[in-house]
Parts: sequence; structure tokens; C-alpha cells
Amino acid sequence: MNGAPILTVENLKARFRTKHFGVSREVPAVDDITFSIRRNEIFGLAGESSSGKTTLIKTIAGLVRPPLELVGGRAEFSFLPDAPTLHQASPAAVAKVRWRHLSYIMQASMNVLNPLRRISATFRDFALPHLGGTAGDFERKVTEHLALLRLDPSILDAYPHELSGGMRQRVTIALATICRPDFIIADEPTTALDVIVQKDVLGMIRSIQREMGSSVLFVTHDMAVHAALTDRLGVMYAGCLVEEGATSAVFARPRHPYTRHLIHSLPRIGDDRQRASLAGSPPNLADPPPGCRFHPRCPLAVQRCRQARPAMLEAEPGHRVACHAVEEGRS
Amino acid sequence: MNPLLELEAVSKTFTRGGLLSRRTVEAVKSVSFRLEDGKPEIFAVIGESGSGKSTLARMILGMHRPSGGRLRFEGKDVAALTAAERPTFMAKVQPIFQNPFEAFNPLKKLDFYLFMTARRFGGAASQDGAEQASDVALRQVGLTLDEIRGRFPHELSGGQLQRVAIARALVSKPRLILADEPVSMVDASLRMSIVNLFGELRDRLGLSIIYITHDLATAYYIADRLIIMRKGEVVEEGPAREVLTHPKHPYSQQLRAAVLTPDALSPPPQPTI
Repeated sequence: MNGAPILTVENLKARFRTKHFGVSREVPAVDDITFSIRRNEIFGLAGESSSGKTTLIKTIAGLVRPPLELVGGRAEFSFLPDAPTLHQASPAAVAKVRWRHLSYIMQASMNVLNPLRRISATFRDFALPHLGGTAGDFERKVTEHLALLRLDPSILDAYPHELSGGMRQRVTIALATICRPDFIIADEPTTALDVIVQKDVLGMIRSIQREMGSSVLFVTHDMAVHAALTDRLGVMYAGCLVEEGATSAVFARPRHPYTRHLIHSLPRIGDDRQRASLAGSPPNLADPPPGCRFHPRCPLAVQRCRQARPAMLEAEPGHRVACHAVEEGRS
Repeated sequence: MNPLLELEAVSKTFTRGGLLSRRTVEAVKSVSFRLEDGKPEIFAVIGESGSGKSTLARMILGMHRPSGGRLRFEGKDVAALTAAERPTFMAKVQPIFQNPFEAFNPLKKLDFYLFMTARRFGGAASQDGAEQASDVALRQVGLTLDEIRGRFPHELSGGQLQRVAIARALVSKPRLILADEPVSMVDASLRMSIVNLFGELRDRLGLSIIYITHDLATAYYIADRLIIMRKGEVVEEGPAREVLTHPKHPYSQQLRAAVLTPDALSPPPQPTI
């Protein structure tokens, strides 16, 4: 899977700026992030709530609206030769790209599907302008695509409330993939689902991705999902990317103390060892700690960690970590 | 030994619709189990959404009256409690909810909830007494009243807020805590601290905890016994570790097989293109 990158993110910085009663606050939610996603791979983005995952995907997708603003850096898709960054492109150009090249699978399927319209109408609303062709052609395409996802065509006549949560999430996946997009952003698509349904939905995302050869940016806080699904993994903490590498390598040998904690604290059936918890809580991004943002909770922190921010350096080929301890060989 | 909580074939039926279109839904069907007095344990109730686990919790809290069967707490039928007995019962059985951000009113200070519980259920007669009871409860979850006093819910992280919710439940010195999905909204780095806290409360304070969850891994980690529910029925019960290591019922086996673990990294299927 050594393809050319489909998405290149370089030194991306975005912040929220709010102004209340003359007091202006800046929250750097995405702080100097660099990574790339190749063709035909599932890239996982891990991190807890308020670590900047959603802001990062918003910035990548060009959804930069006040109070969010772009400070610097770039996020470029290779399928956009003339207008490389989406937030600079004209609305017409963005409309052309969306769904056809770039699509989304969202967490709340009920918010995607119009409760007053049948599923077939929702398919027409979303996909007909992009696929074109006659109504008959379109219907045939939709039915074929549903068959590919092992969904019964009879769901097209149903209203969203008649389907179970898992089924609705499958329909949104079918919607997101019907135009065979190059790039799919999935934001916590299985968080609201039960374990059995979750496993099916993850299997479905993987098989459709392999079948179409698209790239997926898969965002979830659940490390077990990353282990089961993703090819490469990036871990975010307080707006920064702290570790990135092949998922199997990150799980086999996590280098950043935060990643190590996330992986080692996962309880497992059949393992009776006591799990330690991490002291402290995630920092407030409006007032982040100086130096490495993880240092107040880090067991390996020394003076340097409190002063200087660690750079993202390659620890092993293809495995990058932002940690002074790793750099100095202490970890 | 006397049971602390005893459920005997408890069921709950909801009816909806009018005279002609009456439909009944059996949310809980004949569930029986008992928690012994003097033998504190963490009892997990596992099931997917719609399996009736939250309805079961509401019946144990006395919010719903069972349609059939008997539900006794300390030997007394919960459905037949008199108005005078109810506050004592509520002090002894306390809930913890799933989302700490929704459990607290964002416009009220957190200490308000603690003081209120101390006065109503904790037997505190004065402000001083309420403050002292709140501080004792907060210290049991690793916080102090000085950290919480005057703070609003948005000023704390999800993990801290869930600790305050647990402290609030502890103020009235309960004997049984009902925790409905208490860690599903808490960040990964703080989740184990909450789960470990439950273990500490059981060992140190002798509390029994009913831990409702769909997460089999934390149930394996912390629970002593468990029941697995499906469509209102208990399909399997027993010691937590044994049931989860060797599930017998087909549904339990299906649940067990659906658990994603980092060890079970399957090799990715070959790309077709």
C-alpha cells in the first residue's frame, strides 16, 4: 500500500476566536499538524473529546466558518489539481467535489436522513445530481450498490424511523459510497451502535473501502476499533498530533507515553491485571500548558518537557512521535 | 443471609394505543436475582439497547412499579413503600447516570446538588453539616469541597464531573448504587479511574453496585457477577469472569465474539484493486 498521498496536511493550524463583552479568547484547536493519507488505506485518528479531532476534519474538508479560522498551513487533496485547498475553492467548485470525490459518514444517522422522506427520496436528493443519467439508470445503480453492501432493496421504500439504528447507519454508508468517492471522512460512525452491530458496520466499511480502493479517514476515540479496522493511526492530544504510524506497529510498540497509556489501559477479557489510570485531566485548550502539552500528566516529564515543545520525529521508519523522552532515548 | 435486594420474576409491560389499537410491549420478562446483605459486590447487567436494562434499573430505583413479580429491598416490597418510608429508601438506593453533562443543570453550581442531597437524604440539619457531609463524600472519590465549591458543570472535565455525580450519590450514605452506563461518555484516559473507583467503593465502603453496561471488557475487569439480557429476558448469569470466558448461550457467544480487542488484529484482506 505504498501509493501516492491523496491528502497532504502540512503544518495545519486552526483556532477558534470568540469575543464576548470585549474579551477575546483564542482556542488553538488544531496546532501545527502534519501528516498524509495514501490511496487505498484507512487512516485512523484517535484522541479524546476536545482533542481537536473534529476541528481537524472540518479544516481538511474546507468547512472553516467563524468562529473557526485558519491560521496557517495547508491541506491538499491530489484530486483537486487547480484548487488544492478546499476552503479556498469557490462554492461551485466545492459542490462538484463533494460526494463525488469527498464524502462523509457521520455519527448521528438520524441527522443525515430526512425523517419525512423515504430512503429512496434521500438517495435521489443526495446522489442524483452527481451521478446524472435517467431515473431508471439511477434506480438500477442504487439497487446494485445496495446489493454490494448486502442491503435489501426494499429498504428504499422505508422511512428512517422504520429502520433500526444499525440499519440506518448502513444506509448512510451506502449514501456516502454510492458515487464511489476517492476519499471518505468517517466521524465516529459506530459510537452509538451496539457491539454486535458495530462489528458488522465496521466490516462493511472495510469491505466497501477495499472494493472501491478509496481512502478513509476514520475518527474515533475507541482504540479497540482502531486496532480492528485501520491501517495507519494518528493519535491526537490537546490539538497536537503526538504519534503516527502503522496501526500494528503503534499497538505493538507505542512510543508516546499517552498512546502507551491508552493502549495499556484497555481492559481485555481473559487478562486479570490491574489497569492503572492516568492522573489529571486533559488541558483546557484556551490556556494550554507550555512545552509539551502532555507534561502535567506524563510520568517521564523532565524540565525540558515543561519548556520546549517536542518536534514530530521519526522513531522508526514510518513511525513518528513527538516526545522528548523518545528523542533522548529515555523511552 | 438476608438479601439486600431481591428480584423474584419481575416483569414490566408497557401499554400504548387506545381502546382499539392497544399494543403491549414486554420490556422486562421475569427477571430474578438477589444481592446478599453483607457481601458487597459489583453486579453487571449487560445487554444491547432495547434489552430492558434501563427499565430494570428504573424499577429497582422505584420509579416504575413492576407489572408482575416481587422486588424487595432489605425485605420490603419497593412497590408498596409508604410515603414516609420512601425518603429512607431513596437515601439507600442512589443512581448515577450515563452523561454527567446532562445530569447537572448547567446553570446551577455543583455544590448546590451536594448540599441539597445532604439536607434531604443525608440527614444534615445545617449548612455546616451539609458542607461536611459533601466534603467527606468528595474525598471518597478523590476530590475536595474546596475544588468544587462555586464551580459550574462546564468548568470540569467529563471525568471530574462523573466523580462529582458519584460523590453526590455517596452523600446520603447509600447501600446500593445503580450506575447506568457510567463510563460510556467519559474520556478514554479517565475511564479506568472511574471503573477502579467502583472497585474501591465496594472494597472500602462495602457498597453494592449494579453496573449497567454494554461494554463487556470493563464488566470482565470489575464485575463479580453478571446477567446478560436480551429482549427483556435474562439469557445467561453467573460469575463475570467465567461467563465472559466461556459463554454458553448463543447470544452471549455472539456478544463475546463481537468484542474488538487489540490482540485480535486480523490481517487485512488483500485489496482487490
